[in-house]
This record gives sequence, C-alpha cells and structure tokens, in this order.
Amino acid sequence: MSRVIPLIAIAAVGLCVALVIVVVSVMTGFLDMVQSAGKTLMGDVIITYGVSGIPHYDTLVEKLEEDPSILAATPIVDGWGLLRMPYPDSDAKQSETVQVWGIDPDSFTQVTGFNDSLHWKTSSKQQLDWLLFDAINKNASAILQTMSDEKQQLLIDTIGGARSTMNYQFTDLWSAMEAQLSDKQWELVKAYDERLQNPEKVFAQGLSLSRNGKAGIVSGLHVSDGNERQQDGSYAVIRNDHWWMPRFEGTLTMLPIASDGGLIEPESIIMPFTNEFQSGVFLIDSSRIFVPIETAQQLLHLDKAELVDNDDPTVVVGVDPARATSVLLCGADGVTADALQLIAAKVYDEFRETLRGSTTVMPPSRGDPSLSIHTWKEQQKSFTGPVEKERELMRTLFSIIYLVVAALILSIFWAIVFEKTRDIGILRSLGASRAGIVWIFLRYGGIIGVLGSLLGLLIGWLVTKNINEIHAAMGAPPIAIAIGAFVVSVASLWVVVVRGRRGEILPIVVGMLSAITFGGIGGIVLFVRSQGGIVIWDASVYYFSVIPNNIDWPSASFTLVGAVLFCLLGAVIPAAKAADTDPVKALRHE
Amino acid sequence: MSNTPLLQGIDLRKTYHLGKTEVPVLHGASLEVQRGDWITVLGSSGSGKSTLLHLLGGLDRPDKNSGEVLFHGESVWKKTNKEINEYRNSDIGFVFQFYHLLPELNVFENVLLPAMIGGRKTNNDMARERAASLLTRFGLDHRMLHRPRELSGGERQRAAIARALVNKPEVLLADEPTGNLDETTGNEILDVLQGLHQDGLTIVMVTHEQQIAERGNVVIQLRNGVV
Repeated sequence: MSRVIPLIAIAAVGLCVALVIVVVSVMTGFLDMVQSAGKTLMGDVIITYGVSGIPHYDTLVEKLEEDPSILAATPIVDGWGLLRMPYPDSDAKQSETVQVWGIDPDSFTQVTGFNDSLHWKTSSKQQLDWLLFDAINKNASAILQTMSDEKQQLLIDTIGGARSTMNYQFTDLWSAMEAQLSDKQWELVKAYDERLQNPEKVFAQGLSLSRNGKAGIVSGLHVSDGNERQQDGSYAVIRNDHWWMPRFEGTLTMLPIASDGGLIEPESIIMPFTNEFQSGVFLIDSSRIFVPIETAQQLLHLDKAELVDNDDPTVVVGVDPARATSVLLCGADGVTADALQLIAAKVYDEFRETLRGSTTVMPPSRGDPSLSIHTWKEQQKSFTGPVEKERELMRTLFSIIYLVVAALILSIFWAIVFEKTRDIGILRSLGASRAGIVWIFLRYGGIIGVLGSLLGLLIGWLVTKNINEIHAAMGAPPIAIAIGAFVVSVASLWVVVVRGRRGEILPIVVGMLSAITFGGIGGIVLFVRSQGGIVIWDASVYYFSVIPNNIDWPSASFTLVGAVLFCLLGAVIPAAKAADTDPVKALRHE
Repeated sequence: MSNTPLLQGIDLRKTYHLGKTEVPVLHGASLEVQRGDWITVLGSSGSGKSTLLHLLGGLDRPDKNSGEVLFHGESVWKKTNKEINEYRNSDIGFVFQFYHLLPELNVFENVLLPAMIGGRKTNNDMARERAASLLTRFGLDHRMLHRPRELSGGERQRAAIARALVNKPEVLLADEPTGNLDETTGNEILDVLQGLHQDGLTIVMVTHEQQIAERGNVVIQLRNGVV
C-alpha cells in the first residue's frame, strides 16, 4: 500500500494542476480572443458621428495620414439593411438582416486585416464548373446559334445532365465543354466571367469589391445559409458548392434617414457577391457585409448633393459634401491605442479649424455628444464588458479550486503520515529529533509536489495544445474507442467471474466498476455516433469557431508553485503532528 | 563516581489516561543498574514492566514530580530535547518485542539508521564498518541487502539488536526480545545477549517468563507496579 499512496498522490496533484492549467488557459485565451478578434476588422481607434455622418471626411483622412504616428485611416459608412439572398430555389427568396459597412477597399485593407479575412482565395474545380455552367446557360442562345443541330443536342444533353449530377458529385463539366465548344464559343463563355480565365480572380474581386466591373458584396461567412459549419469548425458549401455565394447576386435594401431624423423611401440595389470573409467572431461573421462606400452612401443618402434654395428649388446655393459615419485608424508600430486616441482628437480639432470659413457644412465639434473617438477596446465595451465580469467570476471560482486542491493534498498526506506513524515512533525512539521528522516529510512532500506539478504541466500542455482535436474526437468519437472500451469491459467481466469463484471480493468490486465504466464509455461513444456526433463548443454561443489552445504561462507557473507549496504545507502539518506524538504511543500505532 | 549506578530509576510513577479513566501502571518503582549488570525484570503482562523500560530509555516521561531517571547520576528528564534525543540515540540501545525495523530500508540501512540519525559525531565509514561487523557477528552478513519482511523472526530480532548496538550504547534495554519468537529461536537470541553481556555490555531486559528471566544475573520481580 505504502508504494501506491505516493503514486496516487502524484497523480492527484498532477490531475489538479492539469485541470487548473487547462481551464485557466482556455478561459484566458478565450477572453484574449474576444478582446482582440474584434480589432481585426476595426483598427485601433474609431471616430464616429452617428447617423448623419462626418462631412469632408476625405480631408480628415488626409490630415490623419499626415501624422507620423498614424499608419492609415479609412472612412466607413455603416447602417442596417436587408439582403435578399439567392436561395432557396423557389421564387420566395429569403432575406437576412445585415449590418452594412460601406468601405473604401484600398485604405480599409491598410487599416484592418480585411485581406486576411477573405475566405475564398481561389475557386475550386467544382466551383469553376458551376461558374462555367452559369456562363453557358446565360449565353446559351448565342452559343447554340453557332452550332450544328447534332452538337446543339449534345450540348443540351450535357448541360441538362450536369444540372442534376453536379449537386452531389464532381462532373467535370469543364473537360466536357473543352471537347464540345469551339475556340470561339469557349472565348465567348470565358469573356462572360473573369474567374473562368483566372480562378484566383475571386480573391481580387473580393479585395476590390467588384465583379466584372460591377460593385459587389463581401459578406460574412455565416450570413449565408449556403455555408454549413462542419464539426471541425471549418465551413463547407452545401449541395456540392451549388450555393457558393460568389455565383450569385443579392438585393440590398437600406433605410436612409433624413437630416431631420425622418425616414426616406428605402433604396434597393442588386449586387453580385464577390467573396466572403471570416473574422472568427461569430457575431460579425453572421451579420456583417461589406459594400463599396459609394454604394452605401447612395443607399443612405449620404452622398454628395446640391443644396438648393428653400423657396426656389432650381437655385443651387451650395454643395452638401459626401459623408462617412466613421473613420477607422491604424497606429504606426509601437503606438498604443490610447496614445492614438489623443492624437486623433488633436488632428480632428485641426481638421475642423482648417475648414472654418471655407464651407457652409461644418463637421460636428468635439463637444457634440454624438461624436465619439474611441479605442477599439472602448468600442467593444458592450461586447467585452460582460466577459470581463465573467473573468472576475472565474478568478474567484478558481481560488476556490485552489483550496480544493490544497484540501485534497492535505488529506492525502494525512493518510500517508497516519500510515507512517509507527515508523515515526521508531525514528523518534532511535533519537531522531522532531525537526528531523518534519524535514523528512517536507522533502517527501516537495518531491511529490514537484513530480506531480511536472506531470500536471505535461498533461495540461498536451490537453491544451490538442484541445481542438480532442473536441473533434469527442464530437465524433472513432469507433475504435467503442470497440476498445467494450473489449476492456468484457475482459473485466471475465476477471470478475474467474476471480469471483475463488471468493475474493476486491476483484469483483474493481472488475464490476471497470466493466460498468468502460461499458458506459463504449455506450456513450455509440450513442454520440448514432446522433451523428455532437458539437460541444458551439461557435454561435462562444463567438469563435476554434477553442484557444495556448498555455497561459503566468497562471500556469502560479499553479505549479502553488501546488508545490500546498504539498509542502500538506506534508508539514500532519508530520508536525506525528512528530509531537509520544514515541511510545506512535510505536503502538498499528 | 564509581559508586554512582550507571542507570537508576527512583520512585517511578506512571499513570495512563484512557479517556477520563486514569490507569495507574507504576506506583513508585525503583531500580539500580550497575555497569556490567544483566538485570531481568520479571512481571506478568500489565504489571508495568514495559513502561518501566520506556521510562528508563527516555521514550516516555514519568508523571510530574513522581520519580526520576538518572543516567550517570544525571536526571534524564531534566535534559533538553536535543540532549534527550542524543540519549536515546547513543547512550542507550533499545530492542523491542516487535523488532520495529523500517520496512522500506534493507537490513544494513536499518542497522545504520541510528548512526545516520546521530549524524555529526559519528564517522560515516566507521559506522558502516561497525554495522557490517555486528551483522556478521550475528550471522546476518548474507542478509544485509534484504528487506526486513524477507527475514525470519529470529533474524529480524538479531538485526534489531545490531541496530541497538551500532552507536555503542552503554546500556541495552530489551523489551520482551523473545516474546514474539518460538522457544528455539528465543534461546538463540538469549545466547546472543549472553555473549554481549560476557563482552561487558550492561543489559536490562523485561520478560514475563521465569525461565527467561533466570538468564540474567539479577532478577527483579515487578508486581502491581512496585519492585
């Protein structure tokens, strides 16, 4: 027994340490992701003037970019809109409520991680087949005209066949068309869609928010129901890429608001989808779309307009400049968001000063309560605030877990020292001092603490690093686990029967426990598999599609040191108690 | 100085507390041990003979103001904790009925243990030599690296005696050293003690068997806690 107890102690310390490391690491990583993920598409500092927007924003952007501590600035027009989606197949199409950001793609890319967030870097063979399918259908009459009857029929048959088969398997329409179309017809088709000439064009189209010369949309990956989240957190387009958004167009409707706050007739525009983006923040990916800033200005009536005389609308009295609702800034290297906020405020004042007298439409002063200059952290406050509070709660809860760990270690050592009481009596009767006894157990506790902590660090590190794989495996457990568990379960039952016949009770108890446990594990695996797997870390609940897997080293070191200290403490208290026992009493201890 | 007994128990009283009940065990037992004596204390079980030995060996404290243990005329219980530890460690050697060897250590380490505890004043190599020679003398040289549980009762008791002697104590206190052994093995142990006594070692042994008690040169009867 005395050899098993220290191993149990090391395992217990290790598991506790691993538990704390894993949970704290994931929690801290999660909070860090929450805080920094929003920044991806927001820049460092954001200047906002509510609904009516900042006039002469291009001057402001220029002024801001003149400052050496500001790397880039970009104007934004944002508002809410309805996006009529291309799906379903029937005429009654679905609409999504979207947060529309009108952006200037070039400067927006400089300020944010827009280009990295674009999801489609190139078109797959399957996607190209769909584009080709669309192009041939659109140009069907032109192509058929130039064909012989025989070839016409073949083309109609091929396209008709592809229409149904492409929904579930790769048909290689491309090769079929290469065989059937003449060079001239092929060129006609390719001219219809730039992406057929260059599959990587889809990325460039996303970056420039235009497709074949038409202003387009980049939508969040989760806006469209065509993209389905897979168990491993990636996205796949349903129906074998049939609902690949860059094939389609959508109708965007926005509600402009007059300068007096009243509603104006809603405006709609049909736009092609050029690409999709994934920021990693579910909230953003499921609701935001990007369109060119000019489009958003038109839809919201924030574009440049002539000011006319109230009495005689034919007399032009001035120009109402285009407006942007926000300007995003990105600081130069080493400039903190807080420092940038002060600089932005100063530049804004200068910007207002230079406009004085030269225009009839002044931008709002900084005293205007609707004007805000916020860092990305402040901008995110409503989003991160509750999570910050949660972090405080978690810290409090974890100090309790530390106490639980301490109590556990203490009780294990109490058991060890209790078992060793007679040996302590022997040592005392041979002249060992009390301090000497305590020192022995202190070393013992220290060794268990260090070994347990290292074991815990190793387990914690392995689990944290592979947490996404573990999550995937739990979501869709391999059948081998079920088989293995059932084998162990049956083996345990066999042990129960064989050893049970000799009348021993321990093998029966342990064997039954093992049989039930492993049988249960196997059953759970089969159940999960029968359900088609489960998703524990749901992106729509936790904002992110992957679980953070970086060790939080400060808390991990704190945990390791804490565990060793608790082991020392756990050893020294019962050891001191034992050392104080009379040698004679200790010797009588059985 | 030569008249001072080596070890002396004067009017020793000891009461055990079992919950609220007081169980008096010794009612003023006195005992004198001269250098070279082999004293056997004979008494039935419960007569307090083990307690008497514990008091003499500094393992247990007599009741307050009730008797004294003198070693070379000095009161043991007036010593500091450190001095008491040294007394237990090197002035006396204690042999128990149940051997009390440490199960995790092998025989040699067990024998060396008092020397290691004594530490500072014992030369390491000398202690190792002495431990080895004691074990050889007791016929355990082939058992040195075995764990106590691999030994027979007689072998364990011989190892325990070797342990008691490793720091060259002036008195060996033996608490029923044969109590857990069969007669033949018990006699072997008594022969070992006899040999040690002939070499000049002072021994105090307690037993409840008349026959065994007669091996000593002085037999003391302990009845109802009094000599």
